[in-house]
Amino acid sequence: MIQNLQILILGIALGGVYALMASGLTLVFGVMRIVNIAHASLMIAAAYITFWAFRLYGVDPILSIVITIPVMFLVGVGIYKLFFSRIAGTQRSGELTVLLTFALALVIEGVLGFFFSNVFRSTNPAYSTQAILFDPLYIPKGQFYATLLSLGLIGGLWTFLQFSRMGYAIRASMQNISAAQVVGVNVERISMISFGIGIALAGASGSVMSFLFSFFPGKHWEWIAILLALIVLGGMGSLIGALVGALLLAVASAFVSFHFGPTWSPITFFLALFLILLFRPQGLLGKKMEV
Amino acid sequence: MADKTVTSELESVAAETQSLKRPSLRIKNVFLGGLLLALLLFPALQFTSGRLNYWLHMAIYTFMYIAMASSWNIIGGYAGYTSLGHNVFFAVGAYIAGVLLVYFKISPFLTAPLGGLIAMAIGLLVGLISLRTRGPAFIISTIAMILVVKISFDNWDYIGGSNGLSLPAIKLPLAYTKMPFYYAMLLVAVGAIYLAYRIRHSKFGLGLRAISQDETKAEVAGIPTNLYKILAFSISGLLVGVAGGLWGYYLTYLKPSNFLSILVAAQMVLMAVLGGKGTVAGPVVGAVIFIAINEFFVANLGFTELNIVATGLLLLVVLLFFPEGIVGTLKEKGKLPQVLDWD
Amino acid sequence: MALLEVENVTAGYRAGPDILKGVSIKIEQGKTYCIIGPNGAGKSTLLRAICGLLHPRDGNVIYRGEMLNKLRTDQILMRGISFVPQDRSLFPDMTVRENLRMGGYIIRDRTELKERVEDAFQMFPILKERSSQRAKTLSGGEQQMLAIGRALVLRPEIIMLDEPSLGLAPMVTNFIFENIKKLKQAGMTIIIVEQNARKGLESSDWGFVLDLGTTRFEGPAGTILNDPRIQELYLGRAQVNRQEPSP
Repeated sequence: MIQNLQILILGIALGGVYALMASGLTLVFGVMRIVNIAHASLMIAAAYITFWAFRLYGVDPILSIVITIPVMFLVGVGIYKLFFSRIAGTQRSGELTVLLTFALALVIEGVLGFFFSNVFRSTNPAYSTQAILFDPLYIPKGQFYATLLSLGLIGGLWTFLQFSRMGYAIRASMQNISAAQVVGVNVERISMISFGIGIALAGASGSVMSFLFSFFPGKHWEWIAILLALIVLGGMGSLIGALVGALLLAVASAFVSFHFGPTWSPITFFLALFLILLFRPQGLLGKKMEV
Repeated sequence: MADKTVTSELESVAAETQSLKRPSLRIKNVFLGGLLLALLLFPALQFTSGRLNYWLHMAIYTFMYIAMASSWNIIGGYAGYTSLGHNVFFAVGAYIAGVLLVYFKISPFLTAPLGGLIAMAIGLLVGLISLRTRGPAFIISTIAMILVVKISFDNWDYIGGSNGLSLPAIKLPLAYTKMPFYYAMLLVAVGAIYLAYRIRHSKFGLGLRAISQDETKAEVAGIPTNLYKILAFSISGLLVGVAGGLWGYYLTYLKPSNFLSILVAAQMVLMAVLGGKGTVAGPVVGAVIFIAINEFFVANLGFTELNIVATGLLLLVVLLFFPEGIVGTLKEKGKLPQVLDWD
Repeated sequence: MALLEVENVTAGYRAGPDILKGVSIKIEQGKTYCIIGPNGAGKSTLLRAICGLLHPRDGNVIYRGEMLNKLRTDQILMRGISFVPQDRSLFPDMTVRENLRMGGYIIRDRTELKERVEDAFQMFPILKERSSQRAKTLSGGEQQMLAIGRALVLRPEIIMLDEPSLGLAPMVTNFIFENIKKLKQAGMTIIIVEQNARKGLESSDWGFVLDLGTTRFEGPAGTILNDPRIQELYLGRAQVNRQEPSP
């Protein structure tokens, strides 16, 4: 029983982090219907920034979000302007954007690999090896801080979306983009900003990732597969869905990891993906996809 | 109503297709001529000089990718459903043939087709799950597919796990080792082109094209969209699996990270897109041109990371500036040489 | 000078063909106009071209002497033209109140916005009852009221309604048109696109018959309604199926 509770705690802690990672992906999909396959590779890019800031200047990984968030926001805006504003509104943009983000992921992976090689990296601030004890349970300090940070950022995102004028515009665009246009929302600008926020969230995720997991340029395929499976489960385009999906799957994979070994835990996500596609393709909280 | 418009649209395309059903005699001759050349020339040179191993290797590699890009094209180009996990079929074919060789001593030349069939079955299964909806579910499933297979293979000691499996080399005198692979891959490549050609000029292919243009209208017009999509996906896996079975034997080594490397999937996609997805000649052209460019770069730069960057960049450039690919763009501008117009 | 003038406008969607092929209409202040015509004639396209969702490829849209051609939708909304689209275009997961607030998106002053939203509630009391309900839970008629209310939050000079009776039962349609009459009495300039030609023309002063992207006929609404030529033309055309292209 204690053991199960322990696993549950670890799972929930991780769920918060996964939710942060998935939130950026969901935001971008919700507003622009873009499946950003490069999301995870951008997370890893941010992880590298965090790593070198830590290695060279002793910047604490959690504090480094002060760097990674704005930097990645600008990167996101740049990517949008470079690739997506020119194809916005063309007919077969769905397939095209996927291939574009796929190509982008390759480029980022290659560039990172070229500069930083394929050595497994991670940052190791003091708290990454400590734990907080609630006898007889414990939670690793690193994960604890990561979860707090993730929940804080998600909360911030939620507040922004619920109460600010731009937040309204973004939510409106997620729900009905043509209606948003009708009431005068500058859909182009909102898309660009949403994309920027999405990548900024990837940036924060990358910083957190740097001390929770080890990473190398090619790892993003595993991550993007997991995150995509997660948001399909929760319902694409739904932020609450991403949160729910993240928590459920993180807990499930924690149990799988315990009983079958950590190498098998990603399979949990994919099993869930195929199951949900069989029985409820729109996800737990999603609506039926309009074409 | 909607079906009236779509039906008349389909009818005009069908008429157009009918007139092309007889490829001009010239194309046929050129194709057969090229085939004859391939059949005789290289091997002949190999026997006489023995130093053409490099070119034989390149030829085998090219034939393989011609087959794989053409196969990918069936789901990615004709139907417009991007598969990013096609290397799963490649790996499955390779491992089936390889394992049967190691444990049961059966030659992969016999079992590669079996590998292809099993790849096809996997395509059917995954397709049944993920192609019933539209939207990104399919693409996401193909990515998930790679990971599932990779993790499974990495942890499966019987087949070598992440360290891989060594295969016994083919028993032929050194000068002749590449020969059977050469002919086998050539056969697979020709088969793939022929398959792509026949599908393109069939009702099935027409249906796929309709699906890629506007799936709702296609459905309304009575096309069994789900069935067609699932069929297209599974068929697209067949020859990729066969190619995998042969390639594994050729390399004499199976390793999950080699066969499931994203680069293989990315290159298949790139070749089809570069050449012109949705056309018959496109993937062939794309494969040949990309491999040529790649060889040039590898000879001068030679790092795998830059290889990945180059593949990605090239794909970006093609997607942004001429998404119809070489064959597609030339065709649109009316400048496509008759020889390449196989649609 | 006319309040709004559309001069020989040609327009189409994205890279597609011209839907509007040189259409001209003149709108005077305080009057109600009804645009009728078969599917594919370009009626919705015309409204969209006026409010900036679509930019004219040729010709001019002039409002109070100013050219609107290159302006963005929010700029046009600010100048006093509101649009209620055919599919109502509500935000399904937002509440009635939030939808109304979104109608006033371009209004920066929060108190002003609050006031305007209350005005909308006054006009449609049933919306006040449902103010915390999500838009997707409302009935067809209520959604239409919300859509109109949302357009009114901007206190527009001109309000344009695209097929207000679409999908609504006759009794609800009557109610909607009652409210349109109220707006007219309040001095608003109204442009209605209607498939239900009778209902639309009965509530209007002037009518335009649009077909194949140009104005075929125009005249006092009553005349158009009773003109046998137009009835025949309209009914005859309606048999041929052409789809209104979707934006």
